[in-house]
Amino acid sequence: MRWRRILLSRFFIVPAVLLLGTGAWNVYVDLHAHGLLEGSVIDAAGKPVAGATVILSVHDFVTQVEKARTRTDAAGRFRFDDNPSHLIQLQAQDGTEASPRVTIRLWFRGQDRVVTEPLRLAPNA
Amino acid sequence: MRKLWWRHAALIVISIIMLAPFYWLLKTAITSENIYEYPPHLLPVRPQLFNFVDVWYLIPFPRYLFNSIVVSLIAVAGNLVLNAMAGFALTLPFVGRRSVIVLLLSCTLIPFQATIIPAYLITAHLGLLDSYLGLALPLLSTIVCIFIFKASFDAVPRSLIDAARIDGLGEMRILLRVMLPLSTPAIATNIVLSFIWSWNNFLWPLIITRSQDMQTLPLGLARFLSYMEDTTGALYAFVVMVLAPGLLVFLMAQSAFMRGLTTGATKG
Amino acid sequence: MRSRRRATVIACFLAPSLLIFIVYRILPLVWNVVLSFEYWSPLHPATWAGLDNYQEMLQDDDVFWLALWNTLIFLGSQPVAIALALGIALLVNSDLKGASVYRTIVFLSYPLMTVAVAIIWHWMYNERGGLINYALRQLGIIHQPIAFLDSFAWALPSIIIANTWQVLGFFMIVLLSGLQNIPPHLYEAARVDGAPAWARFFRITLPMLRPSVFLCLVIGMLNSFSAFDLIYVMTNGGPGHATELLITYIYKQGFVSTRFDYAAALTVAQFAILLLLTWIAHRAVGGNAGAIE
Repeated sequence: MRWRRILLSRFFIVPAVLLLGTGAWNVYVDLHAHGLLEGSVIDAAGKPVAGATVILSVHDFVTQVEKARTRTDAAGRFRFDDNPSHLIQLQAQDGTEASPRVTIRLWFRGQDRVVTEPLRLAPNA
Repeated sequence: MRKLWWRHAALIVISIIMLAPFYWLLKTAITSENIYEYPPHLLPVRPQLFNFVDVWYLIPFPRYLFNSIVVSLIAVAGNLVLNAMAGFALTLPFVGRRSVIVLLLSCTLIPFQATIIPAYLITAHLGLLDSYLGLALPLLSTIVCIFIFKASFDAVPRSLIDAARIDGLGEMRILLRVMLPLSTPAIATNIVLSFIWSWNNFLWPLIITRSQDMQTLPLGLARFLSYMEDTTGALYAFVVMVLAPGLLVFLMAQSAFMRGLTTGATKG
Repeated sequence: MRSRRRATVIACFLAPSLLIFIVYRILPLVWNVVLSFEYWSPLHPATWAGLDNYQEMLQDDDVFWLALWNTLIFLGSQPVAIALALGIALLVNSDLKGASVYRTIVFLSYPLMTVAVAIIWHWMYNERGGLINYALRQLGIIHQPIAFLDSFAWALPSIIIANTWQVLGFFMIVLLSGLQNIPPHLYEAARVDGAPAWARFFRITLPMLRPSVFLCLVIGMLNSFSAFDLIYVMTNGGPGHATELLITYIYKQGFVSTRFDYAAALTVAQFAILLLLTWIAHRAVGGNAGAIE
């Protein structure tokens, strides 16, 4: 009887819910933090660009460091599998053309994410 | 009837003034605008929660949080045990009881801030600089809380205690089985006050921590402010994350806490 | 035999707490006094200084007097805060619907971390992003933004407002519990005698509230000596020394300039002032907080 009262009091329920929530979140993070990042590159006309270079740089409050680069495949798609951060910028380059820098914010480090909006190349200004 | 309406209006205005800083803090923490834009927007622009993610990863927030939790737990546990024991002892008759009470009351007049220099030197002699125990030690027992316990124990009917004594219970058992179960408001007040005081403590950790690994949340906040200035919404997200646990503990315990505080305050 | 055993138990119960208070309150106090009469800094042997530290403090140190003056202004704000809190307590103290909600809202700022309060108010006072400058300009009270915390005239009042915001709820709760302890039959008797509301307030409420007001005054004094966190973050004593309080000056002398001996003398002065003010408050309000029994 006394135990039931303790178990039902808010002093037990609130911390318990918080702990459960934290646990569930951590499990979710563990299962989804492979650092996978996928997307595609198109040209000004909207056609996929093969062989474009995509640069991934990692952001901080003050600095921005290039961490990895990759090339798009024949379908214009690219894929990083070692994104270490939660706050990154992507930019595609191909010859004289480059896309604007796109900032991507993730909920945790290395969250797997498919970037739906393609990087659009434009003549370098 | 008209009088009541007037009271509500006054109280609503006061509430708005009291809550405005909270609102401004939250608004700045979730906004993604340039926070220096003038005029500022009253509602958050493109609200998002990524500032909180930044705080978690870009500064050693988990480390600060862990340190704060460890120190607070030590302080709360110490306060519960030591204050309950001392408060109980003060309800028993013994020689020199009055002088102990006078001694404790005069100690309340010594502000902790007035003791920092020797307290620092003493802690250094004990070899406890830059350690959890050193951080928690001066907070392990608080006089106000001892008197809150004493007031609560004094209210326990004598007959109950005498009956327990006739049954052959020792003092320790009387404290655990009779006194404490009847003093939940005092226990709640003790937990909340000692938690809040150690959680919020700034000057003491500022003096005795050396390495960044031992810094607690308030130090982390001051440090973040000193090298980022207030240029980013992340600072305010940090503030929200620091305030949330204290407010949560307070709101959970608030009814019992207020009861315990008011009885203790008028009696002690 | 039994009573001997009980004496041992009592001693064991009291010992840990007393030890902490002796080591961290009383011993430091004595040590401070001793230190203030010496020349001493870490790694140097102590030598007797007589009254040199005090002489320097009283005669040569302008910042000390400024810090003392600021501390007294800060202290002077406490009765104002208590009066405000009394007003709110009177408003809340009735069977008003939702009184407990108002009570919680007013109290909510008290348990906050002072460093965080300082950051919140630092932002509230900001020239561009701050709510206060914005509101004042919208209301047409000012036309140019004021850099409150960088202004010699405004910095201290700004900090006092932030401090009041934080402690108001605590004063309110203490006064509220005092109000609730006034026996209702006193008011009924006064009403039967036809005493108007203001007379009831000054003849019954205020006198009966004396112990609570005294408690608020003492706590307010202790608080304002400990406004360190607020000032350290919001202005760090500046601009110039416009917001320097004794406690921030002690910290700077002791832990920034490592002049522990001089800081100890300052601490002794601060403590003496605190005792004096407590005594004055005790005489003025006539509270009997000493009578615990």
